Amino acid sequence: MNPERATKVKKVQSRQSPGKSILLALPMMVLTLIMLSGGRIPSDPQKLFIFGVTYLFFNVLFFLMIHTGKTDRYRAVAFIAFSLLFVVSFITHMFEARGSMSLSHEKIILCEVPFCHLVIPMTLIPAALTKTIIFPGMITGGYASIASMFVIWIGASLALGRGWCSWGCFFGGLDDAFSRLLKKPVLPRIDRRWTYLPWAVLLAVVLTAAAFLSPTYCSWLCPYKAVTEFNEVTSFTILVQTIIFVSLFIGLVVVLPLLTKRRTQCSLFCPFGAMQSLTNKINAFDIRIDRDKCLNCKRCMKACPTLSITEESIRAGRSLLSCMKCGTCVDVCPTGAAAFHIRGTPVGEGLNGKRLLFLYVAFLFLAIFAASEIQEGLARIVRLITTGSMI
Amino acid sequence: MQGFVLGLSSGAVCAAYCAPVLVPYLLGEGRGILRNFLVLAQFLLGRLLGYLAFAFLAWGLNQSILRDTGQRTLLIGSAYVVLSVALILYSLFRTGRACRAAGDRGVANRLRGTWPALVLFVAGLATGLNFCPPFLLAVTTAAEQASLAQSVLFFLTFFLGTSVFLIPAPFLGLMRGVSALPIIGKMAAGLIGAYYFYLGLTLLAGGNYS
Repeated sequence: MNPERATKVKKVQSRQSPGKSILLALPMMVLTLIMLSGGRIPSDPQKLFIFGVTYLFFNVLFFLMIHTGKTDRYRAVAFIAFSLLFVVSFITHMFEARGSMSLSHEKIILCEVPFCHLVIPMTLIPAALTKTIIFPGMITGGYASIASMFVIWIGASLALGRGWCSWGCFFGGLDDAFSRLLKKPVLPRIDRRWTYLPWAVLLAVVLTAAAFLSPTYCSWLCPYKAVTEFNEVTSFTILVQTIIFVSLFIGLVVVLPLLTKRRTQCSLFCPFGAMQSLTNKINAFDIRIDRDKCLNCKRCMKACPTLSITEESIRAGRSLLSCMKCGTCVDVCPTGAAAFHIRGTPVGEGLNGKRLLFLYVAFLFLAIFAASEIQEGLARIVRLITTGSMI
Repeated sequence: MQGFVLGLSSGAVCAAYCAPVLVPYLLGEGRGILRNFLVLAQFLLGRLLGYLAFAFLAWGLNQSILRDTGQRTLLIGSAYVVLSVALILYSLFRTGRACRAAGDRGVANRLRGTWPALVLFVAGLATGLNFCPPFLLAVTTAAEQASLAQSVLFFLTFFLGTSVFLIPAPFLGLMRGVSALPIIGKMAAGLIGAYYFYLGLTLLAGGNYS
């Protein structure tokens, strides 16, 4: 950092007083109360307790975001809790419905496989060519239907762009969690060429899915099958697929995030994330770096968990297309040069207002989308404590 | 005419089968539209030869390949392995242009300059020998033709019909300004190559990859 410039640049004060913070958090309290309760507060004491815990959890985090001026620190708590409780909820649900995490041929033939957003890129070309969704899931109704996931994805893309990957994806919190466990990275340098890999995976899975009319990423590469559901090992091919997805989970979701302090699965492999980057082009929010305030200390570049800030992008005054809007760069910037921004508005002005507007949209989306999974996960844990079984 | 119409009606599926090979290559080379048309011509020439070779082979062997599932699987498996080796080699090695300073002396330099084209020609040949659904449809119809000449003509017109759907591919050259695309194309070629390699080996081992 250049100390001469540091003295010239005024530190941005994004911290708010407790009273003002409560006032600014009030709309979120009202909106989350309406959305989480669905207009009806549960009467069952256990459900009421879980509802209360979830409601408080989100609103305390939102209050702290406003009060402290830190975004990523509290976003990560909610996001990681979402992922962990999603896994708890999903696995117990699978055991309840099927007796195991493995998919049987019967469930595939009956089209009862839960659909997730990672499949979306592979379905688009076959749907256009053959008017068929190449996934054995339910179009509407049932658990995690195809139509509901498409609607959520379109809404999230319009509201957040690739911010989905830091505020909405129920898998992203897993590598986010592992990337935070060590204080310093063991492998601090990652060759930037690896950031092109998600695009290559996207291209490969989209083309092979169109050729074979099969969701190849789900069959062969998705590491999250390790914590959700997978095919029963009944053939050599399924055994190979199982070895691949377990290895990818251990490597990309656990070991590499630990060693690099980066979200390696999300930024170096996920094809959905690559496709989602394109929605950053049509989204109102982005991250800008005010060149007048920037000290060129590169803290944002070193801290970015998704490798979305480079020296060139700092010079250009913006993050890369792959930016997930997690807010890490905004939190670590000593002068407030890196900030949330609304397209079409001047850079470096009204920073708190723009950040607040983004937070209302992003946090409300996270709270609404995650609430049911968090409540379900908590209910399973409470059941485990009270009855000794999650099912 | 019947072959051409059949090609036109099933060409979209045919294009979907060819795209995993063609698209990563076109992106990987990062050339302009006109050069891409030449590249497409190389690929199509390979595919045409694959079709014609099959027409001769099927006729010569009294269509036994069509009836014998084992032989058919062996042929598809081999085609996949050839295809995958071409794609993996392409993704692993920097192709580039031959060094001008070396003139025409070095055999290695000459090979370096020409082998990317060979990759696509071989890939076209291997996709031509693949039993994609439109191809199977064509084979069934060709088998009903009275003579070898008619069968070859049928495959030729079928090839022309399906090729129409590949005409947009060279326009990927419009994206040549994106500097990351050649790396992405080569990485994708490697991934697709690895996938085809497994499919090919499985089929050669007598298994079913599904």
